[in-house]
Amino acid sequence: MTGSSAQAAGVVQRGLVLSAIGLLALGGVYVLALGYTPVEVRQGLAQKIFYLHVPAAWSALLSFSLVGIASALYLWLKDPRLDRFAAASAEVGVVFSAIMLTTGPIWAKPIWGTWWTWDARLTLTLFVFFLFIGYLGLRAAVHDPAERARFSAVVGILGMLLVPFIHLSVYLFRTLHPQPIVLKPSAPSLPPEMLTTLLVSTLVFTLLYLGFVTARYGLALADEAREEARDAA
Amino acid sequence: MPPEPPQNGEYLVAAYVITTVILTGYWVALWRRGKAIVSGKGKT
Repeated sequence: MTGSSAQAAGVVQRGLVLSAIGLLALGGVYVLALGYTPVEVRQGLAQKIFYLHVPAAWSALLSFSLVGIASALYLWLKDPRLDRFAAASAEVGVVFSAIMLTTGPIWAKPIWGTWWTWDARLTLTLFVFFLFIGYLGLRAAVHDPAERARFSAVVGILGMLLVPFIHLSVYLFRTLHPQPIVLKPSAPSLPPEMLTTLLVSTLVFTLLYLGFVTARYGLALADEAREEARDAA
Repeated sequence: MPPEPPQNGEYLVAAYVITTVILTGYWVALWRRGKAIVSGKGKT
């Protein structure tokens, strides 16, 4: 193993340890959600999906926002670390989006009576999910590193521009999706047990995001080290 | 008397199981790709 590969392996290991801690902490979130928070009278146990769905949505939108910011900075500074970070954040964002897009319909079925409805927030969220799958496909298809970074930066910025629309869509359009109860102009409207569990879960999902992105960044570093070694040979 | 909450625990179980499977599955995928670096095999 070369020096660069050893460095990359160290980064991957740090990310894996961090995300393993996050996975263990997620078990704690399950205990809090199932044992500490009260059962909501109108929605029953299905309401507790909230403690996974909302933090997954937070992490997905955080990932995609950071892809856009890193992409814009890449176009300006041409620093390959920014491109590597954007690629890592996009992949992790797709994983969190998959959780958001599966837990959402599972929660919707008993409460709305339907798995899916083509309203603004759901449709925009699905659109962003597909857009970032396209982003990852684009990266896999373009082999020249500078071209790949430039093309994907443009797509990453376009994806980020949709994030505020997803957040504001419940205000801008008629929708079945509930309005924000935490990230809103007035104080959060939740009982303290629910708010505490939601905040703990959000912290755990953010820790998972950091761990996954670190590991994925290390893998990209390892790929580049291998390509450089191959070119030098 | 307050109304009884609806019985829909199966949806809760499904959501929690799917979330665990996706997150653990992704962690395992990253771990396997990391192992390939250490052994010097293939693309990660």
